[in-house]
Amino acid sequence: MKLTTKLKKRKTPIVRVDKSLNQLNDQVLFPEKLEKANRNLNKIGLPKQWLKDKSAD
Amino acid sequence: MKLPKYPLASNSKLSTFEFISEGDKGLIIKLIQFQKTNLADVYNLAFGDKDPDSGAIDDKVVSNNGDGEKVLATVVSSVYAFTDRYPKRWIYATGSTKSRTRLYRMGISKYIEEIKRDFDILGEINGEWEEFKAGIDYDGFLAKRKGKLKPNNSD
Repeated sequence: MKLTTKLKKRKTPIVRVDKSLNQLNDQVLFPEKLEKANRNLNKIGLPKQWLKDKSAD
Repeated sequence: MKLPKYPLASNSKLSTFEFISEGDKGLIIKLIQFQKTNLADVYNLAFGDKDPDSGAIDDKVVSNNGDGEKVLATVVSSVYAFTDRYPKRWIYATGSTKSRTRLYRMGISKYIEEIKRDFDILGEINGEWEEFKAGIDYDGFLAKRKGKLKPNNSD
């Protein structure tokens, strides 16, 4: 298979690392979304069906 | 998904991604961030537009740039990149509004068979998690990568 065909088919993208984005490392860019996620996750918790697998890690 | 996607740039940790949507309204800078939540190893997937002048982020704007499918495919590809680097991290996603959550649900439903090859995915409904099924109005989604990838959870 040609390299270009392989590249087109791969699911994991080739990502260019842009070091200027490192300045965002400690910034929460979407605070309202994170707050909503934490609120929802605190309410619902983690799925029991997956916790067994996690504890086996 | 063999859909067209935009090229992605990211920080060194692969936790924040940037790409440029190109459509009817011109070029729009999009940012994706995998945010650490209060639960260990659970990361919230958030994305929105960046104002090129002020740098302000808007996650509620409806861009209507005519490339919604390509944008969603690009966001999904960032999930692959993030979970390739951190295979033990789980990804939580919900929309900033009900209609946006519905849009995500429709996107997931459309490609669910393909998604299930690489991820386990649950939907949040009535305060419970259940295996994702198409056509159900979930409040949020939780995904974890399948497979025996070598774990590397360090930043």
